[in-house]
Amino acid sequence: MANLAQAPVEENLQSYQLREAISRGLLYLILTIGAVIAVVPFFWMLLTSVKTYGEHGAKIFWPAGLSTSPYLERPATQELTIPMQPAEGWQNVPRSFSPPLEGAIPVEAVSRYVAQQLAEADFLVPFDVNILATDTTDDEQVNYDAYMLTVGSRIIDQFVTRLDGDELGGPNYAGADRGRWGPHFQVVDSDPAKFVVRESWNVGYMLLHNYIFAWREANFARYMRNSTITTLLTVVGVVVTSTLAAYAFARMKFPGKDLIFSLYLATYMIPGAVTLIPNYLIIIKLEEIFQTTFGMTNAWYDNWTALTIPFMINAFSVFLLRQFFAQIPDELYDAALIDGCGHLRFLTQIVAPLSKAPLMSIVIFNGIWAWNSLQWPIIVTSTETWRPVTVGLSSFISEAAAETQLIMAGSVITTIPILILYFFTQKQFTEGIATTGLKG
Amino acid sequence: MAATKQPVDVGVQHSLFSGQGGRHLREALQAYLFLLPGTFILFVFSLFPIGYALYISFHKWRIRKGDFIGLGNYLKALGTPQDAIFTLGGLGLLAGSWMLWRKIKSEEPVKITLLKALFAFLLIVGGLGFVLGFPQMLVNGDEDLFTALLITSYYSLGTVPFQIVLSFLLATVLFQNIRGKTTWRILYFLPYVTVTVASAAVWQSIYEPRRGLLNLFLVTLGMPAENVPKWLFEATPIGVYLGDLVGLSLPDWAGGPSLALVSVIIYNIWTYVGYNAVIYLAGLGNIPHSLYEAATIDGANRWEILRDITIPLVSPTTYFLVMMGVLGTFRAFNHIYVMTSVVGPIGAPRGTTMTTSMLIWKNFWSGNRFGYASALAFVLTGVLMSLTWVQKRISEGRVFYG
Repeated sequence: MANLAQAPVEENLQSYQLREAISRGLLYLILTIGAVIAVVPFFWMLLTSVKTYGEHGAKIFWPAGLSTSPYLERPATQELTIPMQPAEGWQNVPRSFSPPLEGAIPVEAVSRYVAQQLAEADFLVPFDVNILATDTTDDEQVNYDAYMLTVGSRIIDQFVTRLDGDELGGPNYAGADRGRWGPHFQVVDSDPAKFVVRESWNVGYMLLHNYIFAWREANFARYMRNSTITTLLTVVGVVVTSTLAAYAFARMKFPGKDLIFSLYLATYMIPGAVTLIPNYLIIIKLEEIFQTTFGMTNAWYDNWTALTIPFMINAFSVFLLRQFFAQIPDELYDAALIDGCGHLRFLTQIVAPLSKAPLMSIVIFNGIWAWNSLQWPIIVTSTETWRPVTVGLSSFISEAAAETQLIMAGSVITTIPILILYFFTQKQFTEGIATTGLKG
Repeated sequence: MAATKQPVDVGVQHSLFSGQGGRHLREALQAYLFLLPGTFILFVFSLFPIGYALYISFHKWRIRKGDFIGLGNYLKALGTPQDAIFTLGGLGLLAGSWMLWRKIKSEEPVKITLLKALFAFLLIVGGLGFVLGFPQMLVNGDEDLFTALLITSYYSLGTVPFQIVLSFLLATVLFQNIRGKTTWRILYFLPYVTVTVASAAVWQSIYEPRRGLLNLFLVTLGMPAENVPKWLFEATPIGVYLGDLVGLSLPDWAGGPSLALVSVIIYNIWTYVGYNAVIYLAGLGNIPHSLYEAATIDGANRWEILRDITIPLVSPTTYFLVMMGVLGTFRAFNHIYVMTSVVGPIGAPRGTTMTTSMLIWKNFWSGNRFGYASALAFVLTGVLMSLTWVQKRISEGRVFYG
């Protein structure tokens, strides 16, 4: 009897455990897929930012700079001479339609023979072949472009391509602005008999060349400094003004309180698109006034003042703090009053330390908003002097155009500080958003 | 006389600042002092500009102020006054009839017939007004504006529901008893924390037709390299595009948003799912545990618990997130600006990503039509306010607070 009853129970338990295990496994699977989707763009950003132009162009997934081989006890420099046989020379050159853009492509894409020789000699150089393009005509309708395949300063092959109008797949014309368009190469030998490859490792440079280039090209140092200063000023301003205002609304009695509060409410309802244009005109007007009365140029336009002062208060922060301040028991204030404490001291010494959580949320939200702002800085800045990193990056994106690896390096540069800050404060960060999100 | 009065004055002053009434006055003065810095900035840069914008919108204003043209800019956007009155009045009456309908349920039987008659009247007149006015408005008004509103609605409808459903699912999964909660949360939250311009640039390179990650992936999956979608460069409506793939040819109007806009929508969902999930997690945490226990004892399965307890009890969060999502999509600028900047001029490809905020930007910054752009901004405000109103009415009785 006992045995008969025992068996189904055990079986049930087993099947229950199995079902539990499957559903847990499914749970983790879903979470993993989601997390992969959330993280893949970052992975792509980092990966692309250490590729060479050629590696990205040839759709090579894993950049040589990230392979382990360069780091494993290799001589710093070694040379290999490859005798060139005419039949197996430079081949597989991308021709006519869809020629590779100006720049470097990996040696595999151009000469399998050389690549093989290199592999046999255990050469692991991420060896790029440079392609230079020259505009041979000024014809507006049809462009004949000559491509010289060079290795170092040596021309390996040349070919001509014809492109009609704005045909897709043409060379990158934006490159012309970057001074790499034109005959800046030397003709040495169009039919080389031997070919010397020098393997020389500069690991740091391999990983960082895009960062160094992007940093130099776009003056990111300046942009980062500007963004940091303006964000800090805005956040400090918001914290001070909104704490004071919220305290007045929450704990003080004065005539006209409802009226003033409804004014705050009104600004909360109006979208930014409405105030954008008048604010621009106000900044221009302020600039004029300061110029004529004080003789100051750029007191407002293209200065930190225009970037920070208009954002040093917002209704959201005031509401959030007011709600919190109102919950502080009156007894605390009465007790403080007996000790001879005024409102200001009560606020700074008792209320503020008690309100760390909402203050943190305000710092986080306003920090994100200030660091992310793009539209307003585009309008009120015209030079690099105070331009924030968002504007810098977005103009760098159009300047660097097809050089994705540089754009990704720039994106990494702008993202890293925020991510570091986030990892250190992530607990307060998510908690702040969770609690304020509900009240909104 | 003067000598005797003086001490009294001093006395009054003394009591003003130290007595009961004095304390109030002093507190009021201090309160104004506290409010001064914030309110001053708010007045100059948020409150005054509202009036100023209205003033600008009544003028022909191209960088410099031009002639006063009254409602000219609004009429340029919305067609003739007659159209506007018919359409907007019609919509107003329809809204009124709807409110009346909701009111009828709670009234006594005597009044119901009368109210029903009024309801029918409002419904018919409002509907008629709208039906007569709206097509005329589309003809006489600014075509760009209506296209932009349509595109923005696509954008909202494509973004918000997916965002809500995905983040709710994610939150319910994360709410289970799982390992490494903090790690998951950090990972899912990353997209929101990144600088918008940077992440938009990254996605733009992911979407890149020839060397982007997405198309590399599609080619690896076996899609012929010459057939891969051009994502941000593709102006074809998604419906038409998908129809072509299966051999159906749909007309353009049935196609929905362009593939380019769909790409932007995917980016937007990616950014906000983690953020919304964190807010949902807080909402889930507020549901009393005893409710779940009671339901389990009563023999409810997981699906029933989800349907009858979890979803109704997080409805305030859902309502808040829908609201924020809709407002957010109507205000979206940064990522659309960055992602489409490499494709072509504002709204590229072929104007299919020209949302209302981009249209205002185009009129303001590229077109220098300050007056018209301001009028458009107010039209957008009107649309947003009525959307908020409608959402509030819809949520009434459906959102469960406490």
